[in-house]
Amino acid sequence: MKHIRKAMLGSLLTLVISAPLLAQAQVPAGYPANYADTIAAAKKEGKVVIYSTTDTASANPLIKDFQSLYPGISVEYNDMNSTELYNRFISERAAGGGSADVLWSSSMDLQIKLVNDGSALAYASPELPHVPNWAVWKNEAFGTTYEPIAIVYNKRLLSGDEIPQSHADMMRVFTQKAEKVKGKVTTYDIEKSGVGFMLITQDSKHNPAFWDFVKALGAAGPRFQSSSGTMMERISSGENVLGFNIFSSYALLRAKKDPSIGVVYPKDYTLVMSRVMFASKGAKNPNAAKLWVDYILSKRGQTIVANQAELGSIRADVEGDQTLAGLTKTLGATLKPIPVGPELLSFLDQTKRLEFLKHWQQAIKGSK
Amino acid sequence: MRASLPRVSVIGLTALAVFLPLGLIFYQSMLNAPFFMPNKTIGAGAFEFIFADSDFWDSFKNSLVIAGGMVLIAVPLGGILAFLMVRTDLPGRRWIEPLLLIPVFVSPMVLAFGYVVSAGPVGFYSVWAKQILGGVPWNVYSLTSIAIIAGLTHVPHVYLYSSSALKSLGSDVEEAARMTGSSPFQVARDVSLPMVTPSLLYSGVLVFFLGFEIFGLPLVLGDPEGHLVLATYLYKLTNKLGTPSYHLMAAVAVCIVAVTFPLVMLQRHLLKNAGKYVTVKGKAGRQRPLPLGQWRWVAAAIVALWLFLTIIVPLSGIALRAFVSQWGEGIKLSEVLTLDHFRTVFEQPTLVRGIVNTVLIGVVGGALAVACYTAVGLTTHRRNDGWARFVDYLVLVPRAVPGLLAGLAFLWVFLFFPPLAPLRGTIFSVWLAYTVVWLAYGMRLVSSSLLQVGPELEEAARSVGATRGQVNRHVTLPLIRFGLLASWLLVFMIFEREYSTGVYLLGPGTEVIGSLLVSLWSTGGADMVAALSLINVVLVAAGLTIALRFGVNLHD
Amino acid sequence: MTKLAVQDLHLSYGDNAILKGVSMALQQGEVVSLLGPSGSGKTTLLRAVAGLEVPLRGVIQIEDKPVFDGSKNFEVAAEKRNLGLVFQSYALWPHKTVFDNVAYGLKLRSVPSGEIKQRVDNALQNLGLGHLGDRLPHQLSGGQQQRVAIARALVYNPPVILMDEPLSNLDAKLREEARAWLRELILKMQLSALVVTHDQNEAMAMSDRILLLNNGVIEQQGTPEEMYGRPQTLFAADFMGSNNKIEGTVSEVRNGATLLAGPGWSLWGESRGGAKASGSKATAMIRLERVRVAEGPGENRVKLPLVTSMYLGDKWEYLFHLGEMRLRAYGRESLSTGEQWLEIPKNDLWVF
Repeated sequence: MKHIRKAMLGSLLTLVISAPLLAQAQVPAGYPANYADTIAAAKKEGKVVIYSTTDTASANPLIKDFQSLYPGISVEYNDMNSTELYNRFISERAAGGGSADVLWSSSMDLQIKLVNDGSALAYASPELPHVPNWAVWKNEAFGTTYEPIAIVYNKRLLSGDEIPQSHADMMRVFTQKAEKVKGKVTTYDIEKSGVGFMLITQDSKHNPAFWDFVKALGAAGPRFQSSSGTMMERISSGENVLGFNIFSSYALLRAKKDPSIGVVYPKDYTLVMSRVMFASKGAKNPNAAKLWVDYILSKRGQTIVANQAELGSIRADVEGDQTLAGLTKTLGATLKPIPVGPELLSFLDQTKRLEFLKHWQQAIKGSK
Repeated sequence: MRASLPRVSVIGLTALAVFLPLGLIFYQSMLNAPFFMPNKTIGAGAFEFIFADSDFWDSFKNSLVIAGGMVLIAVPLGGILAFLMVRTDLPGRRWIEPLLLIPVFVSPMVLAFGYVVSAGPVGFYSVWAKQILGGVPWNVYSLTSIAIIAGLTHVPHVYLYSSSALKSLGSDVEEAARMTGSSPFQVARDVSLPMVTPSLLYSGVLVFFLGFEIFGLPLVLGDPEGHLVLATYLYKLTNKLGTPSYHLMAAVAVCIVAVTFPLVMLQRHLLKNAGKYVTVKGKAGRQRPLPLGQWRWVAAAIVALWLFLTIIVPLSGIALRAFVSQWGEGIKLSEVLTLDHFRTVFEQPTLVRGIVNTVLIGVVGGALAVACYTAVGLTTHRRNDGWARFVDYLVLVPRAVPGLLAGLAFLWVFLFFPPLAPLRGTIFSVWLAYTVVWLAYGMRLVSSSLLQVGPELEEAARSVGATRGQVNRHVTLPLIRFGLLASWLLVFMIFEREYSTGVYLLGPGTEVIGSLLVSLWSTGGADMVAALSLINVVLVAAGLTIALRFGVNLHD
Repeated sequence: MTKLAVQDLHLSYGDNAILKGVSMALQQGEVVSLLGPSGSGKTTLLRAVAGLEVPLRGVIQIEDKPVFDGSKNFEVAAEKRNLGLVFQSYALWPHKTVFDNVAYGLKLRSVPSGEIKQRVDNALQNLGLGHLGDRLPHQLSGGQQQRVAIARALVYNPPVILMDEPLSNLDAKLREEARAWLRELILKMQLSALVVTHDQNEAMAMSDRILLLNNGVIEQQGTPEEMYGRPQTLFAADFMGSNNKIEGTVSEVRNGATLLAGPGWSLWGESRGGAKASGSKATAMIRLERVRVAEGPGENRVKLPLVTSMYLGDKWEYLFHLGEMRLRAYGRESLSTGEQWLEIPKNDLWVF
């Protein structure tokens, strides 16, 4: 695998270069000189506690690399789902007990809420110039990955023009290819899944014919699921044939082993999700937290994020198919990244949210 | 009421362990924001919301249907199975017994997933059925199917309680019935099973409770057609309003407890009138298995059918999924076999640690839990006073709270109660949560062993001068050592597959197989979930078989 | 000294009153039997003395120290009463050896182990169990188990030993030998014993005094001779011995004698129980062995048809009809059916 070998070579080079410097705190290139103090303080703290929704297996390369970069700082990595992360963090914070130093979650709106509630440490990371503006809010919340949202279909059972190429195209497939897809279209149950809800509300912003789309979806007899894992499993088996609003990172990973899975980036607009990270204001190891944030946003970290964790890099200077750079080349302006910012809070307002859900239910059921 | 210090302190500790999390939940249900937020107000808003939510009533109705179905299926089947295994000469008893227990230690989500792979719309049994019959005559996603599967998978629970009670009956009651001309089935229905009414009643109530609490099964099988149960409704509430709404979840939990409370009262009332069944006087005579004669094959068929539907169907689904790269409609199985999933599973860095932690918490934690359950069981042994009644309610209520919320409640207990705070993040907190939540289950196993000790043996010890404590230590406990071992084995199996209760208390270093499974599942690694589950099942089944071989009897 | 005293004991199971005011005393060296039909409360009384049942009212004292006083809500726990209790089912602990079963009581009393060994061995020897110390209960015969149960109850020298139907679990043959042996043991060891039994022969053979319980109260108490020879109520008379019951009407009452009459017969008998009015109904009883077949008419004799004779080995039993009633008598020889004269001595016919 080309990119793994590239990454290994890259890491080897870095190791070789930094080996003589490992004995002392080395300040990465382009960082302010007083960064050495941060590193020293972090080493005194000795560890960084991370709560994250990225599974340990994917995060392992990052953890190992970080620890080789800063020996003496151990990484306590807790992986859990986004609800558990939120619950645990606010409970622990309220009790004043020890909690995470860094929170890293794919639930963008919940992360923004936490930041809005004042949980985040304001930190102008030296890496910020390399991160797109839409991915940074108040120097407190940072988007760290670049994950387009795709349409996934079953290659064995759909072919040719049965495979939708865009959201508008999906409407066509729902109505004109009904016999193929009726009862076999799947997406998130937006009442059960916060991520699913967020993606649908983003659709409502970008899709000019959104409510018509929903009505057509309803007529096609959708099967709603609570996780992308179950969605892809059912698409692969043929129980469902088509699904949308699925993370391409997971879909592509799956498609590598499973020849039944096909992935399409919608051509009218492709939403792009970014996992949001922030350092906790009450962190017990604030300096180690800063190091981690900087590391993840650094080129070195992002290279691993893209090529080993396979989450897509948010930096323009990291090469690869699954990076901002690579995807912009192939998809260009149809990429619609979800901005890391306060707009995500609007649908966390209870009334607005329930209103939307009611409208959604009516549209889904209404067209029977 | 005469109450000694040890007895009161055990009851007191148990009450504390139960009321702390429960009290928090009750308190939370009366607020409009998390209880630790400064700007909360007290009101009935949470209840107003859920009562106005049609989803709540739908899920309540569905839960009732499923719980009722579970009782209707599991209690008679479990009783009959216990009768066949314990009292008759059913062929193949020895190797059926460990198989019977498989649904107990396999994670329900994995089991449900197995059903999807085997009998789902494109499951391989369904595909064969389509080829032979032209269509698929069943639908695993219907509410009926969910209720049936839930019922079948809870048969072992009823079996465990009824079989230990049946073991203590003398053969003469059945022989007398045979002499009047009853067939083995009539003997079971009219003589043996009525004599173990208390066990059947208790397991019926417990199964009903579990019916309100089940989560994994309805999540996997209920989602496609949108059937909600209370636990999945709770799951919905974590996201429906955007941020997790604890007060709503707590309100739902309060409603569940409110339903289950009268159930316990009903059970106690029924047991009072069934007192005539409880006295088994004198020496339990030699036990001779009831010969089934020509009914052997009917009985074997019943058992085989249950085994097929409850174990072979889902396990074959899991096994298949573990060995193929893809499955479903249009797939030829022989072309897709692979060992890749197992390879990937073994590469998981936390796998070995997860297995070790799981075994530790199951073995050591299980033993400690059984010790606690024994202590609690002894407080109600042979007493029927107010304290005993109190303990009866006390132990059942924690099981009424769905795991999703119980886990959160325990996090809060360990966060907000200063004496316990330093223990959070240790494996002790996880152990405590598991022990409290499974109190009803484990204690009853110990209690039924305790009941097998003839009261005269204890009275004789008192007459020579032993205090109650000495009676327990020198006479009662030594006599139930096999029962304790069996309880330990079963608690091990329960703890081994647990996950949701301890989810907020686990961390790196303390992860267990359950958390690994969920972690793999959420990234879409159903294939690795299947592989890991298969490894899990094989490990536990092997351990069980070894234990049984080495003379640990599930009865003595 | 009075080893055990019970005063006005009342006990109920829920709403069921079992003991309705029972008083008794047990002196040093006495064997007292609690006799009565099932449901009379005799086992309940024994268990109340042992502390395994809690009465409602009354006082129980052991060696003049109260262990239960209902009026003061005072109760000493069973394990502190230092009594010996032998259960009907023996209740030997199946997981302990014979030696350990017997030694347990001494261990609880913190007796040093050397002394324990000596005393237990002694007890086992006394009961003929010397060689069985290492056996487990299930390896013993019924009789041996019974003796282990007795040894266990005696080894710590309790003031009173309580026995619940000690012989009922033994074979009929063994029972006769055992009651002699048990009485001898109790006398030899100078014990004071309270024994529950439903067998009046057993009670008479073993005890110095018998308490006859009927429906929760003491019907009569006395020595075996008093109970057998001078019963004060019909129930007491009927319970002891084998009897003929004759029902009739009181025809005349004179000086402690009553003339009982029926269709075609009249018999004089001794007045027992309360005063009888002329013309009232009464029941009379006579022990079987007191009825004699006579050669001809005479005082208090009736001529009755003999229905059948039954051979019992040591005697014959004759069955007669008296109107609707059946009378039985014993004799040495076989008699042919037909009418015979029966003598019913008036001092042995008790009219209640």
